[in-house]
Amino acid sequence: MGDEGKLFPALVKQFTASTGIKVKVESIPWDNVNDKLTTAVASGNGPDVLQVGLSNLATFKAAGALKDLTSELPKYPHLASDNFVSSLTNEKLNPDGHVVNVPWVADTRVLFYRSDLLTKAGIAAPPSTWTDLHADAVKLAAAGGKGKYGYYIPQWDQALPNIFTWQAGGEIQDSSGKVTFASAAAKTATDFYESFYADKLVPTNADFDQTQGFVSGAAPMLVSGPYLEKAINDAAPQLKGKWSVAPLPAGQSNISVVAGSSLGVWKNSKNLEADLQLLDYLDTPSTQVAWFKAANELPSTKSAFDDPALTADPMVAVYAKQLGNANLLPLAPKWGAISAAQLKALNNVALQHANEAKELATLNSTVANLQK
Amino acid sequence: MVGGARTLTERFNVVTTSIRAKATTVSQLARPLRRSPRRRRPTTRAPYWFVAPSVAMLLVFGILPVLVAAIVSLTNMDIGDLASPTHAHFIGLQNYRQLFGDSAFWQALRNTVLFVAVGVPVIMVISLAIALGLSRSESRLYRALRALYFLPAITAIVAISLIWGYLYNSQFGVLNYLLSTVGVSPVEWLGNSNLGRASVAAVGIWRATGLDIIIFLAAIMGVPQEYSEAAAIDGAGRWRTTFSVTIPLIRYALFFVAVTTVINWLQFFDEAFVLNQGRPNPATTSLSLYIYQEGFKFNQFGFASAGSVALFALIAAVTALQLRLRKSDD
Repeated sequence: MGDEGKLFPALVKQFTASTGIKVKVESIPWDNVNDKLTTAVASGNGPDVLQVGLSNLATFKAAGALKDLTSELPKYPHLASDNFVSSLTNEKLNPDGHVVNVPWVADTRVLFYRSDLLTKAGIAAPPSTWTDLHADAVKLAAAGGKGKYGYYIPQWDQALPNIFTWQAGGEIQDSSGKVTFASAAAKTATDFYESFYADKLVPTNADFDQTQGFVSGAAPMLVSGPYLEKAINDAAPQLKGKWSVAPLPAGQSNISVVAGSSLGVWKNSKNLEADLQLLDYLDTPSTQVAWFKAANELPSTKSAFDDPALTADPMVAVYAKQLGNANLLPLAPKWGAISAAQLKALNNVALQHANEAKELATLNSTVANLQK
Repeated sequence: MVGGARTLTERFNVVTTSIRAKATTVSQLARPLRRSPRRRRPTTRAPYWFVAPSVAMLLVFGILPVLVAAIVSLTNMDIGDLASPTHAHFIGLQNYRQLFGDSAFWQALRNTVLFVAVGVPVIMVISLAIALGLSRSESRLYRALRALYFLPAITAIVAISLIWGYLYNSQFGVLNYLLSTVGVSPVEWLGNSNLGRASVAAVGIWRATGLDIIIFLAAIMGVPQEYSEAAAIDGAGRWRTTFSVTIPLIRYALFFVAVTTVINWLQFFDEAFVLNQGRPNPATTSLSLYIYQEGFKFNQFGFASAGSVALFALIAAVTALQLRLRKSDD
């Protein structure tokens, strides 16, 4: 998937060498995943093994595209659930008990901050609570002056509003699995989210570029994932030492989101045994470490984090810690549409100055309708 | 997302092609056909064989998809029903009720009408003006200019979006940099505002003129020299010749460009999609984009089809109106 696809053939070379099974890799851009899926489902022809981004997982499940692997798993030790980090296990990915996919790479969100700019604004340490986050954002925006902000909210990011709800002690799914934003915690989270806009601490232009903004100092604090580390290092290697990452600031807790990718087998693959051997190989800790070195993607297996290649990196330590305290976004088939409605409501309040209570009421009825 | 855009555009292109094909058929029918003599009857089947391939193409890629979309629009088909379409249920007109009850749909319709109402006349005036200018000379410079003006039409939309993205970007864009040199504070060119709408339309206009200029130019070149010579002898000046001889004589090209540009702009998609990098922007969301964002992106094929059928009906109605106006003009 995406650019990493080019690195994948090298990763499976050793698998082919030891098993004699040849792997043909097809790399498709993330943006084309849904097209590929619909074509494959309609025609019935898919690959043997496929990488499924967690944001697409519900759609793949709804499409019935993945084979049930539950009865086969005991034969493959590296695919056992307790190998994986606690937030990304087989059970978490397959709450209904039918294991159709296993974890592959993990991803989470942490606080990125410009230590040099924080120091300049008289802030000794990165914020560890909501109150500090807001107060520090005020200080940074004031110290930065015109065109500079204290914080950054990606306007179309699915995770942040829901991270805030979890941190406020709430859930976004009820006991039956239905998504709901009607809780008191969701209201607290919305108020907190909108306070950054109300106090003019975040950019309002939709085309704000987070890497550029972080490098230029326009957004000296923001919440993002390991891919931003790579983007910053590529765009501004000279900035090294002037920025770092920290666990998310806490409301009642500092829960983050866990994302990433999983692996599954196409529903009518004829090479089930070879497929599972490949899955087992890919979830072997040494392969996971090799992939981290090659593509800078976090492992999903616990023991891979103990490898010197990962322990040597202080940022990985922060990611690993945050991964231990992270939730999955809902794996509901309508999540895409629900999330779009949520962000639309939040942006209406933030940018068009719509009434918050009214927007939330509309949102809740839309969400209820979508799940009827 | 560009992939998704492609399927949708392709889907609509099929519709457009069928309408365009219809337009040509109608105009051909308008011309009197020469009857073949009775005794050569056995050969009268030949023309049918010649048109058969295009009729077959039209049926398979034009009419059939429209019918399928019409049927799907009455169901609740989603991704799970794709493998086994029998699982989808007929839900009557519920998709249409949802569509017409959505304020975002009406906003998208308003945007689309606005794009067509402003974009098409501007494109036609600019294209015609440039084509008239380019037709003045056959010199090497003018021929080079012709190629230059055609460039936007053949440049990949991805390249266009990148370049215009760098011009428009509110953080590090060229336009805002130029403004900053004269002390004007940064402007959000692609925001949820009239300015955002204008920025997106400007790129669309720039891109559409390329092809239209070439069509106008070819039509102007096709006007026999004798007419302008006769006009010159009668003492008509340059302007008079242009307005009373050239423009009336390229009526058909004007009509053709008007119809195709209106159809293209009723399906306005690419520019609004790529310039906003796939993000929803209510100010620039056209009907096509709305259908994509609300339907295809979330695999709600029933709902998306209802939107597509509504758009098809709109395009068919507008085109039929144009054809009718044209007929009364002849």
